[in-house]
Amino acid sequence: MFVYEKKLQYPVKIQTPNPALAKFIISQYGGPDGELGASMRYLSQRYSMPYPELKGLLTDIGTEELGHLEMVAAVVHQLTREMTPEEIKKAGLDTYFVDHTAGVYPSAASGFPWTAASMQVKGDVIADLNEDLAAEQKARVTYDNILRLSDDPDVNNVMRYLREREIVHYQRFGEALRKTLDRLDEKNYYFMNPAFDR
Amino acid sequence: MSSNYADQRYRQGSLPGSAPLAMAYVPMQTSAAPAYEAEDALLRGTLFPGLDLPFMGLVNRDLPSTPLAEMMAIDFVVDELELYLDTHAEDEEAFALYQTMLSLQKEARERYARRCGPILQSDMLGMDSYAWLSGPWPWEYCQRKEK
Repeated sequence: MFVYEKKLQYPVKIQTPNPALAKFIISQYGGPDGELGASMRYLSQRYSMPYPELKGLLTDIGTEELGHLEMVAAVVHQLTREMTPEEIKKAGLDTYFVDHTAGVYPSAASGFPWTAASMQVKGDVIADLNEDLAAEQKARVTYDNILRLSDDPDVNNVMRYLREREIVHYQRFGEALRKTLDRLDEKNYYFMNPAFDR
Repeated sequence: MSSNYADQRYRQGSLPGSAPLAMAYVPMQTSAAPAYEAEDALLRGTLFPGLDLPFMGLVNRDLPSTPLAEMMAIDFVVDELELYLDTHAEDEEAFALYQTMLSLQKEARERYARRCGPILQSDMLGMDSYAWLSGPWPWEYCQRKEK
């Protein structure tokens, strides 16, 4: 069960609408390393996690990622308010606008719609935690790249915050892998899959 | 900020002295101390100076001094401690800090709901109207700086 909190995790107050920035920031909503994929990855992987600390961590980080999804949507929504057709064309947002107007739709910066093909649920704790470590690094690099492209201070505050969360999550997934190893056979960590083999 | 911590050991975690091959090892964070104050933690995106690794050295400044930002800061410390405790459930000092923050969070939320409206629908207990639909939604912001 989920309960909605009517607030963001971090303030989003974009003073200057700028559809050109929305055109690539949308990738962290529905792109290959975005927040929708992150939340779906962790919240789906948790069912095959064999230990309580892993079920807890995947649930808590997956839930936080839903909050980040809402923050990215807030940035896109505020960047695209009160646009004129001329501004849309000048910003190159016309290819998005024709299908979605000023709605927030999960797609990559390229326009490719969100796909579960950019994430995985392997059902094996070592494989899934290694995927999660990689996913946090890829999301961190995406925020680095957004910070290289954007000169809007209100947008960049939010991007720096979200980027730092990727680093904290990376640390926690790494610790979760260490805790997992404590429970496995240290002569052969790959002896069997504790989520499947009895 | 980190220059306030002369002893840099908080940046280091623990690794096994030797370990089986063919496995990835991230150092374990050894303590929830030192920790930033709540407002600094929210601004920097982490409670922990050892994990505070900004891109190009740039960090956020100036959290607005509003009741909402004050509550967000406390909520953030609670969230951050929960992730830490998920992998450090045996850390009694961190759990004691978590208890303190939960109690601050309860007060801050009740105060905020009374002054500014419900965060959870259950905050409407005892209110005289269905205030859930009043006020801006979290993603809305209308003020504008001229280009």
